[in-house]
Amino acid sequence: MQIQPFSVNDGEGIRTNIFMAGCPLRCRWCSNPEGFEQKELVGWYKRRCIGCGACASVCPQGIGIGMEERSRCIACGRCVKACPEEARARMVTIMDADDVIREVMKHRLFYSYSRGGVTFSGGEATSQPEFLDYVSRELYDSGLSIDLESCGYFDFDLVRPSLERMDLIFMDLKHMDPEEHRKYTGVSNERILENIEHLGSLMRKPEVVIRIPVIGGVNNSEENIAASAAYVHDVLPEAKMELLPYHSLGIIKYEAIGKPFDQNEFYTLDREEMKKLRGIAAAHGPKIADYR
Amino acid sequence: MAITKRVEKIRDNYVNTKPHISYERAWSWTKSFQRTEGQPHLIRTAQAFYDTCCELSVNIWEGELVVGTSGEFRKCAILTPEFGWLWINDEIDTFPERGQDPYDVTPEQTEFIRKNIFPYWEGKSVEEAFLARTSEATKKIGVDTGFLDTDSKWRNGIGEISADYVDVLLPKGYGGIRTEAEAYMAELDEAIPQEKAKIDFYRSMVLIADGMITLGRRYSKKAAEMAEAETDPVRKKELEEIADVCSRIPEQPPKTFREAIQFVWFVQLGGIIAENPLAWNPGRFDQYMYPYYKADEEEGVIDYDTALELVECLWLKYSEWAWTISKNTASFFAGYTNFENLTIGGTKVDGTDATNTISYMAIQATKECMTHQPTLSCRIHPDCPPEFMEAVTELVSTGCGFPAIHGDRTGYQMLSNLGYRPEDARDWNNCGCVVPHSRKTFEWTSAASISFAAALEFALNQGRSRLSGEQVSLEEKDPKTFESMDEIIEAWKKQFRYLVRHGVISLVTAQEIHKEIGHRPFMSACNEYCMKNGRDLVDGGAKYNIGPVFTGVGLSVTANSLAVIRKLVFEEGVTTMAEIIDAIDNNWEGYEQLRELALACPKYGNDDDYVDSIARDLADFFYEEVTKYDDLYGNHFVTAFMGISNYLPTGKVLGATPEGRHAKDPINEGVSPYTGSDKSTCLAALRSAAKMNHDIHSGGTLLNLRLNHDLVATKRGRANLGAMLQSYFALGGFHVQFNTISNEVLADAQANPDKYRSLLVRVAGYSAQFTNLSREMQDSIMARNAHEAF
Repeated sequence: MQIQPFSVNDGEGIRTNIFMAGCPLRCRWCSNPEGFEQKELVGWYKRRCIGCGACASVCPQGIGIGMEERSRCIACGRCVKACPEEARARMVTIMDADDVIREVMKHRLFYSYSRGGVTFSGGEATSQPEFLDYVSRELYDSGLSIDLESCGYFDFDLVRPSLERMDLIFMDLKHMDPEEHRKYTGVSNERILENIEHLGSLMRKPEVVIRIPVIGGVNNSEENIAASAAYVHDVLPEAKMELLPYHSLGIIKYEAIGKPFDQNEFYTLDREEMKKLRGIAAAHGPKIADYR
Repeated sequence: MAITKRVEKIRDNYVNTKPHISYERAWSWTKSFQRTEGQPHLIRTAQAFYDTCCELSVNIWEGELVVGTSGEFRKCAILTPEFGWLWINDEIDTFPERGQDPYDVTPEQTEFIRKNIFPYWEGKSVEEAFLARTSEATKKIGVDTGFLDTDSKWRNGIGEISADYVDVLLPKGYGGIRTEAEAYMAELDEAIPQEKAKIDFYRSMVLIADGMITLGRRYSKKAAEMAEAETDPVRKKELEEIADVCSRIPEQPPKTFREAIQFVWFVQLGGIIAENPLAWNPGRFDQYMYPYYKADEEEGVIDYDTALELVECLWLKYSEWAWTISKNTASFFAGYTNFENLTIGGTKVDGTDATNTISYMAIQATKECMTHQPTLSCRIHPDCPPEFMEAVTELVSTGCGFPAIHGDRTGYQMLSNLGYRPEDARDWNNCGCVVPHSRKTFEWTSAASISFAAALEFALNQGRSRLSGEQVSLEEKDPKTFESMDEIIEAWKKQFRYLVRHGVISLVTAQEIHKEIGHRPFMSACNEYCMKNGRDLVDGGAKYNIGPVFTGVGLSVTANSLAVIRKLVFEEGVTTMAEIIDAIDNNWEGYEQLRELALACPKYGNDDDYVDSIARDLADFFYEEVTKYDDLYGNHFVTAFMGISNYLPTGKVLGATPEGRHAKDPINEGVSPYTGSDKSTCLAALRSAAKMNHDIHSGGTLLNLRLNHDLVATKRGRANLGAMLQSYFALGGFHVQFNTISNEVLADAQANPDKYRSLLVRVAGYSAQFTNLSREMQDSIMARNAHEAF
């Protein structure tokens, strides 16, 4: 997992994001590919590297500067320490839950003045249900505002206690067509659609925002947006929707972890096109949320 | 409302012309002093002021509504040879061409000044007296060194006064001040020695008042003459109004907003003529101007837009006057900045919110005029109205660096710690850049600049400068033989104590000289208790006499350096003292790998206690050491971390430092993290800075941060910025100021200065036009770390 203090676009106010590794989906446009697996990960930012070889000289596994032998990496972090340019970086680390709590509580004053708090994100926050349950309970008991960002693909009853503590839940709806959904994310959307509906059964009635990451070439058709909005409004009338334009900033991370990424596969919609799609979604009932 | 055509025109002239040196004031002053030989110095000063007010050329420039200029040029820089002329003589030929803050001056002017003005002051100036009385040891470490500098207190006028508009100036007018002085005088007996001195004081008050009254009348007459000759009926009417206003102002208390604005400018002009002062503060402008606005508005004689145009005219007057300073001083205070600090917001004395229409008007005027003056400061209290916070953060988002944002309660606490009564501490305003101050006060707020990093250099180089090799400070053992962290910290303390000691010696010497030949009748007339006590400011007439302030510079560089030594030498043992000393002796050449290790050590500004606790210990020691000493008036010296632009010149004289900095690179200002080393988040930088005990450093603390512009581009983003500010203040922080212009814009401005003449950026504790800064200053601003949202 990774902790990101000072996040301001995932919920109200100033927030700390807790990114939890491990995700059941494999969205082909994912901008946080380091969060696919639940394992520690060291990456290499080629653009920062000066080729000094300090990393290779301390590596117990004999991995070179370019990390071609990365399958042998044990994520011991010696190269991260040795690198003078921060070209080697820990992408995923194992953290003790109490340390996480201590870390996020540091900024409590900033949360209270800004009506901010903590956002559980990913990877996939629900992929570590015990951790989520423990940390969210501690933070809930401290009176902090807590939000959750999820892909929506999880066992609802297993994470229900955690969901009950949330002030705001963001859930993604990537495509209304089950086959298209499977094609681009690796899983069908049935469970996700069910879970959106289930959110209505939560006792504390958290605010819900259903997010569509609008990926040019995947789910940006007007029909898909309309069908998504109609479905959301039908099963969960109080839910808002947020349409986020695709961004390609994740490319650097793919490079860092040595995964291929075809950046020509998807495109970003311009401001006007996004505006139009938001209008279509709104026309089907849901209010449109905006955290920028 | 958009800026009016009038204001736009005045502003264009301000942006596009270089200040011009005027010797009118210096020439009148000199002639007057030639006539008053033998008189008490206080009287001579007041007489010189009066004579200057009678002789100074009177100019009303195109389109002006607020009038009064310190000489024959619209953007005028005047000379005060009575404080120091040696440096002017040395540098005047290079004034037009120098890199930082050039002034126009003609060869004819230079010749006149050298022939007629300087010869009289030879052997009589404050500067010469100081140099004559100062030992070689003190000079070696504390005159033009960059290790310890006090020259703003013996080469220039002092300034650092907040005019008392509330209890003295506005309710009395100079007519009232004159009457009051005469009434006091009538009660005194010249045959009693103590009373005789008071009679001299009150005589000086009468001369000051008469000078100001004369100045106003001369402007009234000039305006009437110009109105007579004016063919444009609109301008004719304006000139007639100016003539009418100045026929009463500043003799009588103003009755309208318009009169009050002109009054405030005349007072400012009087201070400029008297001392050419630094940090001559208008104070809590929104508090004393609001009653005039409210009354006029209720009577229907003024509306918001009319008042705003007047305020904008005043802003341009504040900016047209240029402070005349040496090349060395200009490197400390870059950008023609004269620190006319104007404070808005905060709480009233009764503890309730103080914001009013004028608070917002001041913000709007700054935003529309984009002038480098006044130095706009705001006080933010815990219950600050959200609209005010939005107005403040919206101004921040323009990237102009204004306003300087201060925590109300920390300011209150800083003054309380100096013994202020609650009602005065609550009424604090800002002085200069970030000094909590009061209109009841006499204090040298920027007296000494003391380098923490120089003390480290001396500790690690046997008391010698690493660049020159000269023995300038106390001897110390071979640094390669230090065996523990404690030993090194003790060595630093020993050197630091030595710097403090020579700072104290220098400042007490300067105080003695000012007591003899630095009388300040004009400023004393702006101070309630001087009049009550019958004593000039330099004789301790004010209600609060506060000891001179030492400003610490290089805190984070020094803390970071000590952290490197602790970690790499004494904890991890990956290097030795010998290797570190060799590395910095060689400016890291050949030691690149060691430098990388040093750079990877914990750095102040990332909420890491490993190094933040070192910084706090150093800062606390600074406070303990400095406050041990008393000044000439029996008041203890005061500490601050206020910075100004001193991180450049103080860095230039230092060799490389153990935390990875190269020789001659800048150090850091205030409690700011070292440039580029606060890599975590803005919150971490704020938390590190808040760990310093701000409230004990009553001279003020300064924190500069860069913010990515995107973060404050939306209203919601600005609300988050407001929350960050409130959090920082709740943690005990005092001041923070942001630059939010992207480096792309700044790079373009470097390449195309003509396109960006009006671009204002935060330097340190103040803002200046970016294109008026030297290249190295521009580069150092661009290097400051930008905190981005994720």
